Order: sequence, then structure tokens, then C-alpha cells
Amino acid sequence: MHIVVCAKQIPDPETPPSAFKIDAASNKVIPAQGIAPVLSQFDAIAAEAALRIKEANPGSKVTVISMGAESAQAAIKQVLAMGADEGVLLNDPAFEDGDSHTTATVLAAAIKKLGDVNAVFCGRQAADWDMGQVGLLVAEDLGWPAAIIAKGVTTGGAGLQITRVLENGFESLETPLPAVVTVSNEFGEPRYPKLPQIMAAAKKTVTNWKVGDLGLDPGAVGKAGSRLKLEKLFIPEKGGKVELMEGDTPQAQAAALVARLMADKIL
Amino acid sequence: MLQPTNVPERPQRRVGAWWGPAVGISALGFYAATTVEDSAGREIGFNADHPWAVYAFMAALVGLMGYGFVRHAGLWMIGRPAPGILREVPHRLRNAARLGLAQDKVRRDRYAGIMHWCIFSSIVVLTIVTAQVAIEADSPFKFLHGPYYLFFSFYGDLFGVIGLVGVGMALYRRYLSDFHRIRWDERLEDHLIIVGLGLVLLTGFVLESARIMVTELDQHPDWAKWSFGSYAIARGLDVFSFSEQQILWLHTWTWWVHIAMAFGWLGLIVFTRLDHLFFAPVNAFFLRTDSPGRLAKIEDIEQQEIFGVGYIQDFTWKQLFELDACVRCGRCSEVCPANISGQPLSPMHLIQDLKGHLADVGTAIQRHRHETGDAGREVSSVALAGDVIKDETLWACRTCGACMQECPVMIEHVPTIVDMRRFLVMNEARIPATAQAALENLEMRGHPWRGTALERTTWMEGLGDVPIFDGSQEYLYWVGCSGSLVERNLPVTKAVFRLLGESGASFGVLGQEETCNGDPARRLGNEYLFQILAQQLIETFKAKNVQKVITNCPHCFNTFKNEYPQFDGHFEVFHHTEFLAGAMQSGKLVAKHAVNTTVTYHDSCYLGRLNGVYDAPRQIISMVHGADLTEMQRNLSKGLCCGAGGGNMWQEEVGERRVNHVRAEEAVRTGAQSVISNCPFCIQMFEDGVPAVHPEEEGRMKPFDVAELLEQAVFGPGTR
Repeated sequence: MHIVVCAKQIPDPETPPSAFKIDAASNKVIPAQGIAPVLSQFDAIAAEAALRIKEANPGSKVTVISMGAESAQAAIKQVLAMGADEGVLLNDPAFEDGDSHTTATVLAAAIKKLGDVNAVFCGRQAADWDMGQVGLLVAEDLGWPAAIIAKGVTTGGAGLQITRVLENGFESLETPLPAVVTVSNEFGEPRYPKLPQIMAAAKKTVTNWKVGDLGLDPGAVGKAGSRLKLEKLFIPEKGGKVELMEGDTPQAQAAALVARLMADKIL
Repeated sequence: MLQPTNVPERPQRRVGAWWGPAVGISALGFYAATTVEDSAGREIGFNADHPWAVYAFMAALVGLMGYGFVRHAGLWMIGRPAPGILREVPHRLRNAARLGLAQDKVRRDRYAGIMHWCIFSSIVVLTIVTAQVAIEADSPFKFLHGPYYLFFSFYGDLFGVIGLVGVGMALYRRYLSDFHRIRWDERLEDHLIIVGLGLVLLTGFVLESARIMVTELDQHPDWAKWSFGSYAIARGLDVFSFSEQQILWLHTWTWWVHIAMAFGWLGLIVFTRLDHLFFAPVNAFFLRTDSPGRLAKIEDIEQQEIFGVGYIQDFTWKQLFELDACVRCGRCSEVCPANISGQPLSPMHLIQDLKGHLADVGTAIQRHRHETGDAGREVSSVALAGDVIKDETLWACRTCGACMQECPVMIEHVPTIVDMRRFLVMNEARIPATAQAALENLEMRGHPWRGTALERTTWMEGLGDVPIFDGSQEYLYWVGCSGSLVERNLPVTKAVFRLLGESGASFGVLGQEETCNGDPARRLGNEYLFQILAQQLIETFKAKNVQKVITNCPHCFNTFKNEYPQFDGHFEVFHHTEFLAGAMQSGKLVAKHAVNTTVTYHDSCYLGRLNGVYDAPRQIISMVHGADLTEMQRNLSKGLCCGAGGGNMWQEEVGERRVNHVRAEEAVRTGAQSVISNCPFCIQMFEDGVPAVHPEEEGRMKPFDVAELLEQAVFGPGTR
């Protein structure tokens, strides 16, 4: 069993609000000074799901792939430290500023290049843009079945047995392999890496594939291939307004308040 | 020199203070003895048909002790080497004398101190007495005659009586009082030891009085009086007008009983906790010579095959040795904040469980090593961390050091506990979820405060120009993660900042460049992460030419002061209370405004017990006009932890009560308006604990830092 985990490095969701800034001209988030990007938590959970299957099925292998900047090596190393076997970084300027669709194109190409993959695990969504599309689009590109927002994944039956989280209940599925699964936070906490594995991960080399390695047309990926256009990125302004009710007596103030609330159709 | 007000007098611990009276009485006795005639003396081996029996018993005892030693030593030697244990020998010898022979720690419990001194000195002196008898009997040296003989008789009896007083005190405590801690793990041997010793002493007196009845009572009554104890018994027995034959018969039988019991009792040393006789002073010699706040560094951590202690043989031999020194007195557990709060840790039981496990598997490991040469970690199927010692026991430790402070045989519990935590975290990745979150946060964000909305520079708002340290200033003011990222601790940071400015000190801060110095990682057992964080920060300090550091937090203080030297980071470190107290004494800071309030002071473990800074904060309080200090019952080196130490700031507590509720109760009991501390964790714990034990908002005690109090006194109330 060979499972690929797709991992994304994102700006730290715990960046203090005061340090979160946006460049309106380029519609981009300005990386906060001194705050390092982190592995998206949902992807760490997807890695946990993959590693549990690996442990339950001796001889299995987990490969982590990440499309992103050179710094995304850290996210790959983190999953390697958790127990993944190999890491692939998809780092190319051509991949930058794409949308979910181009990201899926690149990831699917890498998965095809790996060849013997039985399953792809993604987080239910990336914790920065929260689109939740890449997993499904990868499945589309590969032509594989997909199950999203899983709280349980085990091997069994035709291939994988999956419990999905629905709005008011759970859904149990069985899918043949190969397949794509996106894993939700209900699955459980990702493991804390053991030091021997951290040190082993530090020694592993991460493969780096460029657009040419994947046989992709640079015009079909990144900004060039993107179909989604970002119109405006902005931090919503939050405000409060205080209005004091006039009146000489508490009764008068209360009457004024009631009148005001009725005028606003709240009462 | 300013003296802190209202501080309870700290007992002066002079070496051997209690030997004074004994020596004085003996000197008087010796002087008196020189005034009598020269012919006094007695027949050695009087009425003993088989004096050689003593040597037979002795040979058996020596053989037994040799066997015991070899058996113990074999178990210790399965441990790892204990590097540096033979360094600083003079210091270690002083420890052995002060803590071993003079028993400084035993005396921290006054009753037990007196009791133990009585028994200890009696055994020492009576052994010397017996040895002299042997020399007189079986060597060419003859000296037991004349004044010395009488003096000898006198102090022999004196220390016999002292020994009986000690035994009486022990019997009272064990059987008549409701004194709990010595019964937490009571065993048969405890009764044997104390009752046995009492009988040995009593038969000694009976024996001597029988001899006196035959040889001195009528013939030399003025000699007999020197053996005052036996003389009294002899006079009592004399009333019954026994025949000489009967007395000789009594003497013979008592002799045999006495000799057999005395050697039998000494034989207990091999099989019971009586072995502390040797192990306690030796363990005092082995006691660390550096700060108790420092944890051992794992050298070449990347080359280790195992991290921390997961199996009994992963301890150093010193750590195994000290298990044997434990006497189950329960002092450690009596002061342990976790134990007091009904949480699953009792240091005494932990040590005993380790000792029991060593006895269970030690021999098999020894044999396995001998046969195969490998470490033998798979010899026992029982895991040390997890099975023998439960995970939750290890996590309940606050690393507050109270157990080590009290332990009369100098066991160092905290490093042993942290060693096992290291295994849980680094080898097994088994950590309570909230502690794991703190560690992950340290790795990802360089601070342990997950979810904080603050930045390292938030506290600077409204303070005007905050100087950034660039190497030109004398001091680096180290704000710390709590001081900058936890809402409640920000006012303390601001107060220290303003006071430093007012004192005219040349200082700067690192602002955004501060990162955690690693203390929580080390206490939580992630030594690897600690080393990374420490090395990074030491590089930053060196690059910025930092020489002197003033810290907000006693944990940072301890790490910089005691642990960074392990990584070649040598800085002069001050806690803010030390610096501010100094500035006040030299007149650079003046408390102009009265702050009329009643306060109590809480010693944080990392400033107080582990680093010995008790006076500076109290001096500051005493120099604030109007601030009236009432001490809590547990204070100074006996102070109780707030509950947050040892990484428990980031853990859910399990057990009957929360430690901070227990401590808050003690603070509230003083009736003071505020509880003053010096540590961001303590203040957070009191902020949570005081409302829990004092639900009414009106008149509720308020927690403050010393600096917050001083800020009001220097700048006037409400000036910020």
C-alpha cells in the first residue's frame, strides 16, 4: 500500500491579528515578521490517517508531497518526522499564484509520476484559504473515486472503509483503490514525532520536481493557468456604535429604547 | 543594612549544634572524674564464660555486611556512569559532614531531629565504648582504670540514657501520636528496628547493673555512682536481696541476650532501611554540588540510542544508589504539592517503587549483561515509565524541589522524574495533549502560549521609546514569553520597565527577536528541543554582546543562570527583584509614595528554593511605606509551589484538588489584601485560584508582582 499525503504550508493561523497585514496593491498577504509559516493542521491530520494505515499494513509506504516555496521543506520534514517515508517538494516559480484547479493539476501530475500510488490523503481543506477543493480536483484529474471530510479511514472490504462527517450524522462508505480521501479534524490529533524519527527525517533528502519534471505546460499551471481571479483581498473592518437613550427617568429611557428597537424592527 | 520586616527568624544551622551540650556535660564529667582516686577499674569480661563469642558474632556481622555490600553494589553497577561525581571533593566532604554527620536536613523537623540525634549519638558513642572494652580486653593497651574509667562509665551511661530517650520519642511518635507520614509505607522492619534498639539498650543497662551489684555496689559504691543509670537499677534490684548466685545467673543470660540482640540489630543494617547509616552520609557526598535548579544535559544527544530513562539500567549508578538510601520517612511526600493536593504523585512511593523494581529485575539484568554484553533492556517485560511509574505520576511533578529540600538522605527526586519524562516525550511521544500543544507551539512559534493574540511588542504601547538592545547598553531586560504574550503579565513587564528606567539603568530589550529560552521544553522532558532553543538564543546573545541580563521571570532566570553555562553561555543574570532591591538600597530608586495595604508574599520555587533568593523581594516590600507583610505558614524554603511548575502551567490537573487552590487558600488565610509574588506563572495561578477559594468578589485578595507594588510606591498609585 502506497499512500500519498498532500501537505500545504500556510501562514500561521495563530498570527496575532495585529501582525496580520495585507498588501492591497498586489492582493497578497504580507508574511508577518518573525512568524514562520506552518503545516496546515488538516494536512497533519491526513498524515496521521495515512500513518495509522501504514502501521496496520506492514510493508506500506507513505510519501508526502507539497507544492510551495522552498520553505515548504519544513512542512515535508514535519510529516517525515511523524513517520512518512519519502518527501517530494514541487517548487517552481511557474506554480505560483494559481488556484485550486492548477494546484490539483500539479499534484496529480506528481502522483502520476510516482506511479504506484494506491491512495491519496489530503486535509479536508487548507487552513488558509479554506476552499476545500484540491482533494476533489486531484481525484478528477486522476480519474479516481473520492471521499471527502472523513473522520475514519481503514483498510478493508474492497479497499478503504471510510466514515464521513455529514451535517447531522455520519456516512459509512467503501471504496476500491486507488482513491482520494480528504480527512477532517474529527479524525483525531496528529501524533507528536518521536526524536529518533525527527533525526531520521532530518537526514532524508527531499526530492524536488519542477514543471518540466512533471511534463506540464507552464501555461497550464500557476497564475497562467488559473481560472479564478482574486478581485480584492481586504481585512473586514469591525466596528461598534453606541447610542445612549435619552430620558429623565429610567421609565422614559426604557420607553425610548423600546421605540428605537421597534423602529429597527428588532421588536 | 535594611532588614525585611516581619520575616520569621530563619534557624541558624550550625554544624553539630547539638553536640555542644553533650560535649559540655562530658567535659564536666571528665573534670569531676579526675578528682577521684586512681585505683578505680573493673574486670573486663566479668563473668563471661565465652568472651570469644563476641568475635564470632562480629565475624558473622562483617561477613553479612560484605555480602550485603556486594549484593547492593552489583545492582548499582547496572546503571550508567555518573560523570563528575568525584569532582569537587572538598565540597562533597563538607556536604557529607554537614548533611550526613551533622544531619542538617534531619533537623528540619525539630522533633525528629532531637529523636534522631539521641539515637544516632547513642549508637556512635556506645560503639566507641564497646570498642574500648575490646581494646582493653584483647590488646596490650590498658587504659580503663582510674579517673578515665569512671568518666568512661559516666558517658557510657549518659549516652545509653540519651539513646533510650530517643527510642522513647520514636515509640511515642510511631505508636501513640497521630503522626501520619511515617506510616504511609510502614513495614515489619520499622518495628524491629525501634523495639530492637530499645531492648539492646535496656539489656545493656541490666547487664551493667548486675555486674555492679556483684563487684561495686558494696565494695566501691562511689565508683558505682558514675554509672548512674545502672547504679539506679542496681539499687532498685538490691531491694529484693537476690543471692550472688542468682545475680550471676541473671548476668550470664543477659550477657548472651544483649550480645545476640546487639549484633542481630546491627545485622538489620544489611536487610532493612537501617542501611541509611552508611548510605545517607555517602549520598550526601554524592549530592550535586551545583544548583538544584539545573537539570542534567544529555551530551551528544543525536548519538544516543535511547533518550532519557525508559529502563532501570538507564539511570546513573548514583541514581540507583540513592534509592537504597531512602528510609521511607515520608518527608518528601509531606511537602509535595501534588501529593498535598491528592494528585497521583508521592515522591517517597516513587522512589520505593523504583527500588522495588530494581530488586525485581536487577539481578536478571546483571546476569544478562554478563552473558551477552548488551544493555539488557528486554530482560523485563515490565516498562519502567508507564508500568512501574505511571505516566500521570511523572506529569504531576512541579519540579519545585520541595522533596529534595526536605529529604534527610539527600535523594534527588526531580532529575529522576525528568529523566523518565524525557523517555516518554522523546522516545515514546507520550505526552498529555495540552502539554504537547505547548511543545508544538514552542517548535513552531518559539513560545508556549498557544492562541495568544498578543505580539512581543504589544506591551510597549503607550510607554514611549523602548530601547532595543544593541550591545551598547549594560543590561538586557529579558521580558520573556509570559511577560509579553499573556495579558495578565503585561502590567508587570511595564512596571519593571518603568522602574528600570527610573533607576537610571542602561538597558534595552530584544522585542520581536525574543524567543523562548527553552525552560518549558526542558521541564516537560523535550531535552532535544531545549538544546536547540538554548543554542539559538545563546548565539543571539553572543552576537549582540549581551553580558548582563535582568529577567522578568524566575524560570528564565534559572535557565540563563544555571543551565546556559552547560552550553557555554555565561551571563550575569539578575531577577528583577534582585536588581530593583539593589537599586533601592543604593538610593537610585526611592519609594516616595505610601501604599497602605496588607500583603502576603509567595516565594516562587525557581527564585526561592531553587536559587535561594528569599530576601530581595521581601526587602522591596519592607521598603514600601504602608505595606504590611504577613507571612504564610509555609514560606521561604518550605514555601508551597503555586502549581504551575514543571510544565504544569500547560497541563490539565488530575486528582482531588488543584495545587493553586490549596496555595490560594493558604494566602487568603493570612487575611492580607494582596498576595505578592515574583513570577508570571504564580500570578496567573493566583488569579485563577483566589476566586475559586474566595467566591465573593468583595474584599477578595488580589495577586500582584513585587514590581507592581513597587511601581505604585515609586510613581504613585494609578499613575499608569
